[in-house]
Amino acid sequence: MSETEEQSVTILISFDIDGTLEVGDPPGPLTMDMVRLVRDKDFLIGSCSDRTLSSQRALWQDHDIEVDFVVGKHMLADVKDRFDADVYLHIGDREDLDRQYALKAGFDFLWPDEAVAHPHFQPDI
Amino acid sequence: MTTPTAPDAMYRNDEGLGIWEHRGKVAAVGVGHAPTSRRWDGRPETCVGAITIDALRKAIDDAGVAPDQIDGLVIVPVTTTGAFWEAGKPLPMDVIQSFNQTDDPLDGIAKLSAEWLLANMPELTNVNFTMYGPGCMSNALNVTAQAVGDGLAHTCLVVKSWHNFEGRYYQGGANAGNALPGTPAITQLWGGPASYSTALQFAEYCRKYGKAHDMMAPFMENSRRNGLRFPEGYWAQHRPEELGPEDYLASRWIAKPANLFDNDIPIMMSGAYLFSTAERAQDMKQKPVYILNHASSNTRPRSLLPTLDEVEADTALTGRKIYEGAGITADDLSFENMYDGFSLFHQFHLEGLGYRGIKFGEALDFYQTDISIEGPNPVSPSGGNVGSGRSRVWMHTDCIQQLQGRAGARQVTGVKPEVGVSGGPMPLGGNYTVWSASPD
Repeated sequence: MSETEEQSVTILISFDIDGTLEVGDPPGPLTMDMVRLVRDKDFLIGSCSDRTLSSQRALWQDHDIEVDFVVGKHMLADVKDRFDADVYLHIGDREDLDRQYALKAGFDFLWPDEAVAHPHFQPDI
Repeated sequence: MTTPTAPDAMYRNDEGLGIWEHRGKVAAVGVGHAPTSRRWDGRPETCVGAITIDALRKAIDDAGVAPDQIDGLVIVPVTTTGAFWEAGKPLPMDVIQSFNQTDDPLDGIAKLSAEWLLANMPELTNVNFTMYGPGCMSNALNVTAQAVGDGLAHTCLVVKSWHNFEGRYYQGGANAGNALPGTPAITQLWGGPASYSTALQFAEYCRKYGKAHDMMAPFMENSRRNGLRFPEGYWAQHRPEELGPEDYLASRWIAKPANLFDNDIPIMMSGAYLFSTAERAQDMKQKPVYILNHASSNTRPRSLLPTLDEVEADTALTGRKIYEGAGITADDLSFENMYDGFSLFHQFHLEGLGYRGIKFGEALDFYQTDISIEGPNPVSPSGGNVGSGRSRVWMHTDCIQQLQGRAGARQVTGVKPEVGVSGGPMPLGGNYTVWSASPD
């Protein structure tokens, strides 16, 4: 997707936390600045994790990042129902709990290291 | 010295044995815990052997006992239920070579032996009694209490540790193969998740008594609240996250009606205690906590999984054995710390005890009342595994600390801490200890 195309469509990204984000346990390769980058691009963003909803909210609050949703691993389909977007993408590190859930919910899927290199996470030039 | 597994004669499995012959003559004094972590990071100083040594030394120091005064060591040799060293994975030679080794290179890394510990704790110069209590700290405590009472040791350490490696729990080891001998072929290889049998029992419980899973929420919230006041625990140390009703009820099912938080989080941990005779304990640094009884359940279910009827019959039997040997009744309990990992069977233990007069089918309603440490009916003041991670140890530490008045922010205030009970793990198949602030 080109930069122009990216700007003309609504993109929703769901982030797993542990093993995906730098603040996860274990830490993943996606930095919070990368999350801020897509936030600034007006993407719809949120987290989809086995962490409690309250701790997901606290995590985003601690990093001063406003998110559109926090859900459990099994709730990606709800996210798709709630938000009208052209692209639904989940990023996570687990085959069973991330990739399979994502594909089942009709999301595209990227592994964390794939996401880091994806144009979504490159600054607009 | 080769360490034996405790013989069956050391356990009090049967009803009708009368008052325990060593009632009030054995005491716990010292407590030691190593720092927890989610998984092993591969360093020698954080392997399960190293954290065990750390916990043992802290227990010795806490009791104020010179190491050469210790003559007994009881340990649980197995340090996981589901994190196994992968076949063919290279051995961590740098870690292995950091310690004095036994014949098993994974000793101290994926398991423990008394010989490994003694080889790496040169200060324990006079240990002449070692024994294995299989499975859990609950089991090892029964063995330790009986050993000290029987005079096999007068100052005895007891320790339980857990390791956790990267990767999926329960999916390695024998479970990764294509075949298993006997019952595990059905219950493990082709069966459901580990909480499956408890989930089935709980589902039947809800059907029988007209209850629902969401009635567990106050218990879960209370347990995590208590756990966050347990500075030795995982959640308090690493992720001080509460577990409110929304958090609990939004979680995904693992084996419906057991959700993610009904399953305890595997961690690295080690907890140790120093036991002694009541007489010797008088001169130690901490207030003695006396053992009034230990009791066990070795009941085998009729089929692959225990039914609810079997669970209720056996927890009631266990309750009777606990009270009989201690010479107490349910009314004497200041608090209870029965096992909770899986959370959905805690109420089976409670009802078997008849804690605060509750009967079968009433525990979930009881959870809707004040079960906090500030109230008159504290439930699981330790917070258990829900509150501090998988160990099967917190409940015992809490009993000791509550009765010593050292539970800190977790100290029960709604009742005077005089007698507590702890133990588990499963409703069928567990070991229990009755603790008292006084020997009488």
